[in-house]
Amino acid sequence: MNFNFINLQPYSNPQYFIYLMIALIPIILGLYFGHRFKTYEAIFSIVFLFLIFDGSHWQQGVNLLIWLVYEFILTFAYQYYRHHGKNKTWVFSLAVILAIIPLAAVKYLTAFPDNSIGFVIGFLGISYVTFKTVQVIMEMRDGAIKKVDPVTYARFLLFFPTISSGPIDRYRRFKKDYEKVPTRDAYITDLQYAVRYLFQGFLYKFVIGWFFGTYWLPKITASALVVGNANGGLKLSWWVLAYMYCYSMYLFFDFAGYSLFAVSISYFMGIHTPMNFNKPFISKNIKDFWNRWHMTLSFWFRDYIYMRFSFFAMKKKLFKNRIRLSQVSYFLLFLIQGFWHGLTWYYIVYGIFHASAICINDMWLRFKGKHKKQIPSNKFTEWFAIFLTFNVVCFSFLIFSGFLSQLWFGWK
Amino acid sequence: MSNKRRLWQIFGPVICAFILLLVVFLIPWERTFSKQTIYEAAASQNTTVFKGSTMKQEAFDDGYVPFYGSSELSRFDPLHPSVIAEKYHRNYRPFLLGGPGSQSLAQFLGMQGTAKQLKNKKAVVIISPQWFTKKGQDPNAFALYYSPLQACNFLLSAKNNKTDRYAAKRLLEMPDVKGEIKNSLQQIAEGKKLTTFQKFYLNNRRRMLSNEDNFFSAFQLRDRVNKIQKKAKVLPSAYSVKALNKVAAEQAAMHTNSNNLGIDNTFYRTRLPKKVLKRLKGSQRNFDYVHSVEYGDFQLMLEQFAKQHTNVLFIIPPINGKWMKYTGLSEKMYQESVAKIEHQLVNQGFENVVDLSKRGNEKYFMEDTIHLGWKGWVAVDQAVKPFMELPNRRYNYYMSNYYYSKKWQNKDDVKSVDLTNKNSLKAK
Repeated sequence: MNFNFINLQPYSNPQYFIYLMIALIPIILGLYFGHRFKTYEAIFSIVFLFLIFDGSHWQQGVNLLIWLVYEFILTFAYQYYRHHGKNKTWVFSLAVILAIIPLAAVKYLTAFPDNSIGFVIGFLGISYVTFKTVQVIMEMRDGAIKKVDPVTYARFLLFFPTISSGPIDRYRRFKKDYEKVPTRDAYITDLQYAVRYLFQGFLYKFVIGWFFGTYWLPKITASALVVGNANGGLKLSWWVLAYMYCYSMYLFFDFAGYSLFAVSISYFMGIHTPMNFNKPFISKNIKDFWNRWHMTLSFWFRDYIYMRFSFFAMKKKLFKNRIRLSQVSYFLLFLIQGFWHGLTWYYIVYGIFHASAICINDMWLRFKGKHKKQIPSNKFTEWFAIFLTFNVVCFSFLIFSGFLSQLWFGWK
Repeated sequence: MSNKRRLWQIFGPVICAFILLLVVFLIPWERTFSKQTIYEAAASQNTTVFKGSTMKQEAFDDGYVPFYGSSELSRFDPLHPSVIAEKYHRNYRPFLLGGPGSQSLAQFLGMQGTAKQLKNKKAVVIISPQWFTKKGQDPNAFALYYSPLQACNFLLSAKNNKTDRYAAKRLLEMPDVKGEIKNSLQQIAEGKKLTTFQKFYLNNRRRMLSNEDNFFSAFQLRDRVNKIQKKAKVLPSAYSVKALNKVAAEQAAMHTNSNNLGIDNTFYRTRLPKKVLKRLKGSQRNFDYVHSVEYGDFQLMLEQFAKQHTNVLFIIPPINGKWMKYTGLSEKMYQESVAKIEHQLVNQGFENVVDLSKRGNEKYFMEDTIHLGWKGWVAVDQAVKPFMELPNRRYNYYMSNYYYSKKWQNKDDVKSVDLTNKNSLKAK
């Protein structure tokens, strides 16, 4: 067998799961009989990581290694600094900025058209590992993490089921799972969830997601472009609406399916990687939506950007008005999220859109609180809230998809 | 609850699902496609259709005639054979088989599933001399057209004769051929019989693949029905070659006004930007279609037709004259390869050969660089129309293994055949 030519992108086809399941058998049997084979797990992870980053993707693999060495030096330098009892804000800020620089550089460089840069930049999943590093540095600052164990840290960052697209785990939570062997009873429960999530993932990604994304979306796209160009003006047609719903469904089922795979494989390994989605389309308002959609990312943004900034601004008394403060924090959060998605107008508009939506929602909730008696609240209003939220969200995904850019300017 | 019981509850359904899946795959499912689906498939040039069996079988039983070819089949101007057949309510409809990069070997393999349906019937082949490069079938393109289903069909009916050994040997040179199919081809290439296990495996694999073909080949067809109907409106309501040529000239004039090479505007804009155009100038001076393994692969196709006793019309297209001059491709070499192809055909009894190869300088004959279009399609129809009016009957050919030999593949200076004198052809 010539390994040079085998390249397996995670969860991309049914064969991948067959290889994965065969490789998982020793881990599963081990955990069932009360052992965690850490060495085998490490080899298993390295092999599957290697298969992601070999062959035609080797430059990404090199980038990953360079990134890893860099972040390790940074993390342990900061740990060394903290162990000497010091905790200056500027050092902390510098550490965070340095940790983010590679990701920021990648985001900046990928904004240029293809082929204008002569080398491969970044690697699959750089965002998610960067989020993990930043989180560790921040918790070291707080003293929540006293000591980072290099091996566990490497395993945490490179935890192969989640490396490409999350969910984003937390170091302390991961460490707790990683260091213990579940009881047989608990592990059987893990297996139960693992199998369920795996098959739910198949249904989401390979069946429903396929129909929306591969079967319908191209047809709708083509029709929307043809009819739009014929109509002229803003080039709108009912097809754009169809695109909006179809793309939203595709986005959810594809990504949720993917996340389910990652969670499922983690559970097989006795690691309780957190869930990423919790029925987002039955959200009653935008805030509720962000507690259900891409949860590990939104919680990361909530804990490490929104809360930090709010706390900082309160301490420095930057705002007199608490409402104003939360609004500014929201805009900061969603703008950063927009820029993180990419340096294109539609990602940034998407960020502004969500920040506005969540501020308007807050305003409405305050208004509602003051006028409890006049405003009815019943089954119908609840359904209406869900319906409205769903459409607002789908519209935001239409912006996010870049299709409007393609329709209006001919590029994505 | 005991652990054993819990485990069974977790994994039991998974195991049942796999067993069920296997059963579903291995049950012989029958299926007929709707007329509309077949109609879409016939013009779609989808690779799933090319690689499958059921759709082609049903179509050939229902008045469709295979048009084997390559990228020229996708030149859907109003004079395209599919449009003409639709407009003038012909007694046949073309079933387009092939696309960019499908050469003789891919075509031969694709033909495996329809031997029964084409017995004593008709077929059209647009045979491009461009296929006859030194190494023949491009392995990367082969990957697109390689059908494990047809490979199983081939293997399960393979005999120990020159044709099957040669085909097996050639298929083994393609990188996408893998696993037990590869092992089985090895056996056939060496003149050995398949083992019992191989036969068992291939039979079940074929069952699975043909179910897959039944279930999924109607998905995602490239829908050109609207296109055909729209283009048909441009054509004159009464058939006449003169009127068709007039429409052809009008259409072509409109679509080639961006350049002086007589190349379709879109093609010129998207495929030949300045940089590419500059690079291509004089780049084909050393192209050679005379010495090629493709002659052997082409023989495989012919052998398949002979086996089916199919009446075949061969069309040899030209190259855009201006383009030929621009790239420096040698006319002499081109004609030599055409002569060699014709020799191979006529000497084995394939007499319906339409040689358009010298007409590349006629205005509006070609759609772009090497692909027939407008007036070229009218010329094709002038041959296709009378051919389709002939009654179906059993054709016998006089095949010779000589055409598999290296000697033939590398032979120079083959005399051109006089195609007009049918009687002299018959005498052979």
